[in-house]
Formats: sequence, structure tokens, C-alpha cells
Amino acid sequence: MKDQSNHAFVIEGKMALPYQYFAGAVGSKFIVALRDEKKILGVRCEHCNKTWVPPRQTCEHCFAPLTDHWVEVQPAGVVTNFTVVRYAEPYQPQEPPYVLALIKLDGADSALTHLLDCGDIQNARIGMRVRAVFSDTPKDNILNIARFIPE
Amino acid sequence: MKRKNRNVAIIGSGMSRFSSHREEVNQPEMIHEAVVEALEDANLTLDDIDCVLHGNMELFEMVHQPDMWHVLGDGGWGKSGVRLTTGGTTGATLACAADNLVASGLHDVILAIGFEKLQEGHTTGGITNMADPLWGRSLQTGALTGLGAQKVIDEFGEERARIAAMKYRTIMDEHAMKNIKAHRRLRLERQYIKETADNSPPLAGELRMIHMCSQSDGACAVIFASEEKVKAFKANPAWVVDHETVHREETMIFGSQKSTQRAAAEKLFARAGIKNPRKEIDLFEMYDPSAWWGVDWLRDFLLLEGDEALKMIENDEITIEGAFPVNPSGGVVASNPIGATALVRVAEAAMQIRGTAGNHQVPKTVRRAMASGFGGTLWTVLMLLSKEKPE
Amino acid sequence: MSNEKKEQELIVSRQTLSIPQRFSTGPVMGRFLQELRDNKRIMANKCPKCGRHQLPPREVCALCNVEVTEWDELPPVGTVRDYDIIFYASPDPLSGETREVPYVECWVDLDGTQGDAPFWHLLNVDDISKVKRGLRVRVKFAEERHGTTEDIEGFEIIEGAES
Repeated sequence: MKDQSNHAFVIEGKMALPYQYFAGAVGSKFIVALRDEKKILGVRCEHCNKTWVPPRQTCEHCFAPLTDHWVEVQPAGVVTNFTVVRYAEPYQPQEPPYVLALIKLDGADSALTHLLDCGDIQNARIGMRVRAVFSDTPKDNILNIARFIPE
Repeated sequence: MKRKNRNVAIIGSGMSRFSSHREEVNQPEMIHEAVVEALEDANLTLDDIDCVLHGNMELFEMVHQPDMWHVLGDGGWGKSGVRLTTGGTTGATLACAADNLVASGLHDVILAIGFEKLQEGHTTGGITNMADPLWGRSLQTGALTGLGAQKVIDEFGEERARIAAMKYRTIMDEHAMKNIKAHRRLRLERQYIKETADNSPPLAGELRMIHMCSQSDGACAVIFASEEKVKAFKANPAWVVDHETVHREETMIFGSQKSTQRAAAEKLFARAGIKNPRKEIDLFEMYDPSAWWGVDWLRDFLLLEGDEALKMIENDEITIEGAFPVNPSGGVVASNPIGATALVRVAEAAMQIRGTAGNHQVPKTVRRAMASGFGGTLWTVLMLLSKEKPE
Repeated sequence: MSNEKKEQELIVSRQTLSIPQRFSTGPVMGRFLQELRDNKRIMANKCPKCGRHQLPPREVCALCNVEVTEWDELPPVGTVRDYDIIFYASPDPLSGETREVPYVECWVDLDGTQGDAPFWHLLNVDDISKVKRGLRVRVKFAEERHGTTEDIEGFEIIEGAES
């Protein structure tokens, strides 16, 4: 088909569709507690001896139901890992460069991903102690915690 | 001729409740309902599962790679896993893949999961995006078309065709009323067939809302095991005899080519030595996306001619108590969480063989049952299950 | 606990996913769309083995699996083989906006078509009760054309020319 190749060109297209996502009973309780009480909730698996934050309906390791095992964890913890976001895309929570960190809150066994504002991005360190700053405007998502800052 | 390395059986299945509204659970939580029920049904724990197969319609909830974050609910942590997405046939393809993976010896026990949360996305929009973006996408209206209805009307006349489609629809509803998991349970009455159709909103041509499948949220999980494991677990098996998939080129909607339903049935029956499917098969769980297609496809799946399939509907042969029950579950017109739907057909056929269908268990003994999947551009997957272990 | 569940606020996140895309036409659809855009010509390709037209054209014959390199121009006039009247308002995939209903889709055997290759597009009518099989119809091209489906506005009925 070599004689036809000059006919190829590119068409601009788009795929646009409305959708919705239901957090479910467990996810909703977590978000509502963040929004209305500025509390961070997790669930505890006694079998695996682990506290999961954000909470989940069942333990991902042993499958035990956890929805009756709510615990409150501290709004402060330690950075277990981080990355610096340097590229810009629509829908990002803020202008790059910024730090996204994995934060293990005091009382939790799993790490939560969130924004870390430590002034200069060069200041970010694994092991650094940080605390949550709650948003002044209530939201129906994880951004009820506006960001984490050094303790 | 296909040959299996070893026998494979379905030893358990589970389903979430099917509904248009499942706001109280997120996706992994809804899947979890089906997985827990399947494990209980098979009397197994997660430790017995080697591999998790996961599937749904691509992007129907507008989220990417659901298999990744569904591990929370599907029990896939630390296990082998495969994601499959073949459109409407996804659920049936999951069953075929599970059969292949166990028959080959690669895995002993497989948990196959199909799900969909149609409330979260846009079903017709999603199907429209399957069409060729260079031409068809701007013209497609999801899976909604009146052409299937028109075909039946052309052949059998308006009066007889309309009554047959609504009779079929009403029988499906009578079945769904017996199935506690079913989504649309409408209490349709045979004496009001005409009024029910006339009062239903038109979708495309002669296709009305009442004829069309529902948009459901739901998940289905089915456990497949090797013959050795069936023995070790002392399981109640429904054996997978064989399966056949027939695809078709995208734009060949018109013309005289053989339907994929008939093509699949001919191949499958030839291998199984089935000469008279209506007599040699006891039950059929058919993926019927609309009552019109249900009426039309029954003929091709059973290799019937003329109006034989219509007569089966008119004579009540396809009811739960009938000589050839079709969709004792209520079928797809009652419940349609698309990525789960074709796996539900397989699960329901297996439940009838295993005698675990509860209120919608057919009265006769089911020795051989058939389940179909539908998707893409009228693709077909057909699976044959049996009570007796294949040779 | 059961009371709390009943009254619990359930969070839902509502969004529209909108992804810009770029599609390569490839040489075969490229030629079809180029002819449509530049010359208002409808080009089908023709299987060298079975002689069947394909419209829109594809690289290989869907039935014979052989490469298709011959091209024929088909006239923008033909006969309605089938049609669908759409009452269900679905979203336009380009915008996410709901489409206006009812509208009519049709499959037209353009004059001179060999085999099964009906041309799929909209049938623009002021009164859907006029729509039937066998109608003689003509392609209405858009004033501005970009090499897309929308280069054709749809078919329109040729009045007084029933077949």
C-alpha cells in the first residue's frame, strides 16, 4: 500500500463522558469525619495486628471484615517516602514543583499519600515529622486535609 | 478438535445483589460480596485460590485499571492475577480463560470475577466510545437499535412478533420474581402485555424500555477447579465440557453471513456430538440484551428453522417448568451489570446443575446446560456444562 | 448502629472525564476522508477477490481477508435499506452533552454498490413519519469540511423519487 501512504493524516478527537463515584459507607464515614470533626479515622485488623488508614471494609491481607473496628489516629506522623512533582498537568492539586509524600500517621500501619509543604522542596526528608493542616473550606474528599507541614 | 489436558469444574459461585443503586458500597466492596459468597458456596478460603481473574467493560465507570485497586475486595493480594476485558462478552471470556488455565495445568483453583457499577458511568456513552472514532463514533447510539425488532417483525408480522417479544419479556420477569438477586422485578402480567408495551418509553424504532436490558450494579464470582481439587475438596461440581467463541468484523452488520450465535452453536454441538440440542440440552442461560434479540437468537442457538423458536415461547416451553427452560434467573433483561452479566449466565447454568439455584431451581434434573455471552459487534461465546464428568 | 447506617451521609463525587485524543487515519481511511473533505467524493474500495465494495473502506476485505487496493467513486445518491429512529437521548462523545431526539440513522445502498456495503449516516427529515425503506436519498455535504464524519450533514429525501 506504499502508493497510498500520502493519504494518512491525523484527526483531533475527544472523549467526554459524565461519571460519578460512590465512596460507599466506609469511605463516606472517613470523609465525613475529616470534614466535620477534623478527625482521621482508620480501621484495625486484630488478626494481622495492623491499622489501615484510609479505612477499608476488609483487611486486604486476611479478608476479615473491619467495619466494626474503627480507631482514630493522630493527625501527625512520619514521612516514609516522597517524590517531587515537577511537570504540570490539568487537574493537579497545585502548581508544580511540589512534594507528594507517603505519611505514616501515629497509630497507623499504612501510609497515606498527601501534599507536603516544607517550604523549599529541598527540605523534604524521609523520616521527617509532619502534621496535618485542615482546610478551612469543607470538601467531600481527602483535601479536607489541605496539606502536611513539618511539625 | 480441541482437547483438554484435564477436566475442569465449577465448584462455587456468588453474586452481589443486583440493583440500579448501590451507593452504600464502593467498587471493591461490592465485588467483595460476590467473592465471599462464592468462597462460602465452595466451602473454601482465600488460601485455596491460586489465581484471580478480573474483568469488566473498559472505562465504563470512567476509571482506569480497576484490577489494581480492587485487590482490596477481590482477595488478589499476593496471588497470580489476570485482567480481561472483551466488552459484553467479558464475563464469558473470564469463564473460558479460567477453563483454559485450569485445563492446561497452569493453575488448580481459579476465582473469576466480573463486575460493573453502571450507575457510576454512562452505559450508552461508554458503548458509543467502542465505535470506530474515524466514522462510527459520531453515529452510534450505544447498543440501542430497533433493527433486531424490525427483523422479527419483517419475518413473522407485526402482531405475532410484538406478542412474542412481550411474552418472552413477561416470562423473564416471572423468572426474575423468583430470583432474590435480580434487579428488575416488575410483576408483569400476561393479560396486560399490549398495555405494558404501549406505555413503555420508546428507545429506538420498535425497541422500548420494557424490552431492553436493565443498567445494573453488581458483581459475580465463580470458582473453577481441576478434577484433582474437586476430589480433594469433596466438591459439588458442574463440569465444563467445552466452549466456543465467534468474533466478527466490525462493519458487517448487513448481509447473508451466518450469525455468530448459529456459528458458535454448530461448532460446539459438532464437538460434543449433539444432534438435537432441544432434547439433549436441558437448560439455557442466554445473554439476551433485549426481548427482541432473545426471540431472534433462540432460533440460531438451538439451530431451529422458521417459527420453531417463536412456538417455544408461545407454548410456554421456555418457562422454569417448561420442557426447555431459558433463563430461570430472569436473564439479562432483568439484571445487567455488563462485565458480570456473561459470567452470571455461566454461574446460573452451573447452579442449576449443582442444584443450588434456590427459588429459581428448575424442577427437572439438569444434566447438560448451556450459557452464552454477547458483546462487541454481535460476538458470541457459548459454553457447555454437564453434571457428569466428561470422558 | 443500624440507625446510624440508615442516616449516614453517603459521599458521591461527580465529574466529567474529558480526554483530548488524536487518531491517525491510516492510508485507506485517510484517502476516503480526504476525498470527502477536498472533493465531496464518496470513495469505496473494492475486494479484488469477491468484488464487494467496502464503505467506509478498510485495508482488507472483511470476508476474503485479502488486501483491497482498487477504488471506485460511488454517487451521493441511493436507496434506504434500513433505518433506526432514535428516541433515547445519549451523550455526544465529543462533548459529553446530551443529543437532541428523535433523530434518524439510516443505511443506504448508494447507486452502483456491489454486495453488502450500505453507507451509514443520519437521515435528516422534518417529519419522522415520512421515513421508510426504499426511500431515494441524497447526501448533503457540510459547507465546512475537516475530514470527519461531520463532513456529511446526513442524507435528505429526494422528493417524488421513490423506488
